[in-house]
Amino acid sequence: MKTTLVRLSAVIAVLAVWQLLALRGLPDFVLSPVDIVKHFVAALGTQELYRDAAASLMRALPGFAIGTVLGIVLGLAAGIARSFDEILSPLVFLTYPVPKIVMLPVFMLWFGIGDVSKVLIIALACFYPAFINAYYGARATHRILVWSARNMGASEAEIFRRVVLPGALPQIFAGMRVALALSFIVMFAAEMINARSGLGHLIREAEMSARFDLMYVALLAIAILGYAGDRLLRFLRAYFLPWEESHT
Amino acid sequence: MRALRPYILIIVLLATWEIAARSGLWSPLLFPSLERIGKELWLFVSRADGWWQAWVSLYRTFGGFALAAIAGVALGMLMGRSEFMAKLLDPLFSGTYAVPKLALFPIFIFVFGLGSISKIALIFLECLYPMTIITYHGAKSVNPVLIWSAQNMGASRMRTLVRVVFPAMLPYVFAALRVALPVALIVAIITEMISSVDGLGYLVSYALSSLKTDRMLAIVVVISALGLVLDHALVALRNRLVYWEKLDTFYV
Repeated sequence: MKTTLVRLSAVIAVLAVWQLLALRGLPDFVLSPVDIVKHFVAALGTQELYRDAAASLMRALPGFAIGTVLGIVLGLAAGIARSFDEILSPLVFLTYPVPKIVMLPVFMLWFGIGDVSKVLIIALACFYPAFINAYYGARATHRILVWSARNMGASEAEIFRRVVLPGALPQIFAGMRVALALSFIVMFAAEMINARSGLGHLIREAEMSARFDLMYVALLAIAILGYAGDRLLRFLRAYFLPWEESHT
Repeated sequence: MRALRPYILIIVLLATWEIAARSGLWSPLLFPSLERIGKELWLFVSRADGWWQAWVSLYRTFGGFALAAIAGVALGMLMGRSEFMAKLLDPLFSGTYAVPKLALFPIFIFVFGLGSISKIALIFLECLYPMTIITYHGAKSVNPVLIWSAQNMGASRMRTLVRVVFPAMLPYVFAALRVALPVALIVAIITEMISSVDGLGYLVSYALSSLKTDRMLAIVVVISALGLVLDHALVALRNRLVYWEKLDTFYV
């Protein structure tokens, strides 16, 4: 109890100072924390917030799923098969530092301005961290472990499932965590640039009509979703990797 | 044949593009040929205005990036070397880590205006997280024997930090810089696409709304090249400074 109090003290202090400043009067575009919570609770009673949150999640989650699954599968394949590695990896590493969001206008031309182009751009952005982490996770498998397994008569498939995969899992989770954060950023950017629904659209609309309360509601909603997703991933990690101590 | 392998996929992709562009199945608005993109690229590079717009984007990228690097290394060092600061600041950082900071951009526009400052502030905030968290891990993992030796030889606290802790965590600092630099470029481009009147991101959305796909793709190529060059430059700098640990241009 006492340690939690110490740990949360900085957060509480920031909120307290913010609230005190608000009591003294702040410009219109800064709401006090209490007001934000009030507006948020009020918005929870309406339909719009759920609709926009659902629209955002329907873009971020499929994109995240497609990108990470492809990235993990291809990354593991490149990590264990030499010839595949030599063909695929140079392209991935060459395009890695390229900001993927610039492809959004191109995707909008090819796949329309609807959800498909947004899901695909999120998938593209999530692919890279998933691929690179799975790749290095698989490559870092200790030779001796593979040799021992082979020596004990394990087949190649068994070696992959029992030795390479468990060894690569911590890295794979690290990649998924980066990809999840990235999927929210790209979703938000895509919605702010061009969308008719979603939390990014809501915040943009609120900005245009100077509805600061709505802006903070959307902000808080996206913060809660991002935080919840990250927690869920950490929980899954602790479940699948009981032997690994989780760190942030 | 084996030496050619790394290029196979890249060549196949470019060839597919060119065939798709020339087949006439799609309008050149969707798939402009490489020739037209190259022409637009040349137009962009040969005129001073293109360089000016690239400079605007780079100026924002580096402004936010440099500020975040300085503040992040200082914060990470502080958290890594002081138990109290770590306990105090860690919840603040790990709690808001997964929150897309981009959502703050509209508020930043109201606070800092439509110009460069709101963009630099957002880039700073977005880069601060990887910088702080990775240097924090680096500062924590400094071999205690090195610190004990320095203290034993009478080094002051400040001197230990500068001469022992900082060089020992330098590889981590560069790992953090390497994560943060593409983030800085991405955020610069996104914010310019959302609201701006200059910079490469603005040019991309402007070319799109005037349906100049070839020009848009040429600018995409320019932005990609910038990302690549910056990353390679950073790795070269790292290999110079952290000469005891080599790193290739691949990801860490």
